[in-house]
Amino acid sequence: MLITQLKSQEAIEALAQGKTVIINCHGCKEVYFAEHEADAFQKELSANKEVTQIITTDYICNPDNLKLQLKKHTDVINAADTILVFSCGVGIQTVAALFEGKKVYSCCDTYPLPGFQGVTPLNVDCGQCGECYLNGTGGICPITACSKSLINGQCGGAKEGKCEVDKNMECGWERIYRKLEKLDKLDNMKYDAPKVRNYNNPNAE
Amino acid sequence: MEDYTKFKLKRKEELDAVLADKNDLFVVACNKCFKELDSFDEPECGLFEEIAKEQGKNIVGSAQIDFLCNEPLTSKAFQDLIPQDAKNVFVISCGLGIQTMAGLLDIPVYAGSDTVTVDGYHGMALTTTLCEACGQCYLNMTGGICPVVDCSKSLLNGQCGGAKNGKCEVDKEMDCGWQLIYERLEKQGRLQELLDKPVELRDYTKVNHKFVSEYVKSVREERYEGYYGGIHPTEFKELSEHIGLVPFPDPVNVVIPMSQHAGAPAEPIVKVGDQVKMGQKIAQAAGVVSSAIHASVSGTVVAVEPRRHPVSGLDSLAIVIQSDGKNTLDESVKPAGDIDSLSADEIIEIVREKGIVGMGGAGFPTAVKLKSPKPIELVLLNACECEPILTADHRVLLEYADEVIYGLKAMMKASGAPKGVIAIEDNKLDAVELMQAKTADIENIEIVVAKTKYPQGAEKMLIKRVMGKQVPSGGLPMDVGAIVCNVSTAKAVSDAIQLGMPLIERVVTVSGNRMNKPGNYLVKIGTSVKDIVNHCGDVKGDDVTVKIGGPMMGFAQADLNVPMLKCSNGIIAVETIVKEAVECIKCGRCMDVCPMELRPLYFTKFALEENWEGMKAQNTMDCIECGCCEYICSSKIPIVERIKIGKTAIREGK
Repeated sequence: MLITQLKSQEAIEALAQGKTVIINCHGCKEVYFAEHEADAFQKELSANKEVTQIITTDYICNPDNLKLQLKKHTDVINAADTILVFSCGVGIQTVAALFEGKKVYSCCDTYPLPGFQGVTPLNVDCGQCGECYLNGTGGICPITACSKSLINGQCGGAKEGKCEVDKNMECGWERIYRKLEKLDKLDNMKYDAPKVRNYNNPNAE
Repeated sequence: MEDYTKFKLKRKEELDAVLADKNDLFVVACNKCFKELDSFDEPECGLFEEIAKEQGKNIVGSAQIDFLCNEPLTSKAFQDLIPQDAKNVFVISCGLGIQTMAGLLDIPVYAGSDTVTVDGYHGMALTTTLCEACGQCYLNMTGGICPVVDCSKSLLNGQCGGAKNGKCEVDKEMDCGWQLIYERLEKQGRLQELLDKPVELRDYTKVNHKFVSEYVKSVREERYEGYYGGIHPTEFKELSEHIGLVPFPDPVNVVIPMSQHAGAPAEPIVKVGDQVKMGQKIAQAAGVVSSAIHASVSGTVVAVEPRRHPVSGLDSLAIVIQSDGKNTLDESVKPAGDIDSLSADEIIEIVREKGIVGMGGAGFPTAVKLKSPKPIELVLLNACECEPILTADHRVLLEYADEVIYGLKAMMKASGAPKGVIAIEDNKLDAVELMQAKTADIENIEIVVAKTKYPQGAEKMLIKRVMGKQVPSGGLPMDVGAIVCNVSTAKAVSDAIQLGMPLIERVVTVSGNRMNKPGNYLVKIGTSVKDIVNHCGDVKGDDVTVKIGGPMMGFAQADLNVPMLKCSNGIIAVETIVKEAVECIKCGRCMDVCPMELRPLYFTKFALEENWEGMKAQNTMDCIECGCCEYICSSKIPIVERIKIGKTAIREGK
């Protein structure tokens, strides 16, 4: 799951050189897109710069759909010097690949959110490590719930159940302990030897 | 097609070890996402069960489910599914599904699978373009090729020097990312730009946990606010919400179709050549679920013949009246008294006689709703107007507040409901304030402000939001003691009682970003859509779709020579949507937004296969055709169209 945030206005303004076409992607708007901020900013930009077209469409990460949606704007895009894209990193790269000869710029930074794409953001996250640790931990993931991704227990730095790296975060290992306690499975922590994480290539097998 | 499955069964040795001390297993498998929807029975529960049986384990049951990570739906599905004698649950899914189950159940949950990274992880399409979501996009310096993903070392300051013939030294199958960047920038004449720019160091600080967790919380709250799912399309209400109502210039001819309501078409009681007066009944109800129809102008009946109908698109019987421009009132148009002096049955009779039907879109005869065989505890006035662009209800609230409240009181009396609620979305705060002030002294009428979300105005959603009750599958609002009516309907009820005026005109929004002069008009029923569009300065551009109703559920019109109906709340001109449907990739977004908690992805498949049994089993008939699934579909599948095909087939008894 991705979250896109607008880059600073100065940064974007500096990028808008010459005839500029703006492409907005609303495909994942239900997840996150700073629609109103982007809209207000683009109006301002249109007043100061030579914005020849603002295109709002969806799922520009799909190259076929992107081509279809941009078809009627071909002339404007061909005449443009710069294309500004408001989308996640996948969308920007797809536009850049379609217009290899054009300056395609990103107006957003992309951050990860818990959960995979397509599903409402979740409270749980998966690090896709390829060797699921959930069996020994009562179903709480030490890779994502512990800020240090420790696999052999608490680091000792937590204070009152809060992580020492980020005080807003609960200590993942304390959560694991509480869950195992509830399940009467604390022995898991004593006897199961930690499975060393294989960073090599989880796809190899 | 490539396999994007994010999980694989754990190795047998590992499973053997985990299974060793556990028995009485329940096995849950997720039907995988992001794969071509070719069959529904996906996962290899079987393989896991074999391993468990080899060890002599007792398997008490198993389940396969779609989108296990969708917590609200999963928790409902598992409410009574896991038998008491299950001691351990094994889940075969990605890490999200396993953790979701572990969070839901009180017995131990174990992973039967490992989760792996696959291409196309981010973005909605099955693409090989990746984004690391590093939080500081480098694409502006690199010609739109990502150095974090496309360089195996994620270098930010250029080639490492190890590439041979353009191939990476780490993985010889992979192109050197920096060489790709170099070539693209060279092509664009931007090499100097790259050389001049200082390297922007990567900030590896983890994204602020508080920011992310609060954001996730807010998105989830919004998504589940009031009822499950729903969407937030761009509203475009600012185009017309501030424009006051104006009577539309009197039409020369009106075409009044006999089908303007749910149920049987009305039967004409006038013939060609007859002189009619404004408000005169010209057609009578044909049965209980039907409605009378009245002349919206005075003049001469010039035709009683089939004319093109805006909803069905087919020709259907209509009465055409040529106006004499005088609007002479019929003798039947006179005040009927007031609420206190009228009995419940008398009010219902007035509502029936004056041809009042639901004006929010469906056109269900209001008198039938009011004459409920079940006790009614609440009349819910629907002023959500959740469709984008439309502002007709908003204007009615602002300009006819007293009439709306009067109509609500009349309907409460007619149905015997002790309580009335006016539900307004929070994008109409001026209307909320006004209605709150007007109802401050009325004890049994409450104003409910609902957070804007489409399709809140669907009666089942609104009942859930306001009353917290669920209308049973196939049921009606009266099954939970509610009557839901549009605000314009309440205004019409008030006019019928206070003025004796039948339903012959309504408020219509004419808007959309392709309409030259948006506005809100009082339009006579039967006025030509073409005349209205012309009056409003016609449409802009040649890629325009004109719809009657809102952009989500409105009916697109190929020919504008159609009349406005009692339930036509808007004429909108919007950019034509160009799309080509591709295969469903099981992204799960349709299930994520369906307010009826259905699984639209199944319908798309079943409609093509003509699998009507499957359609029935997936509760197709519960679909309210709100179009959320189609709006969000990353494969651009015309889902609603396919659902309608299925519904028609089921109705025909297939």
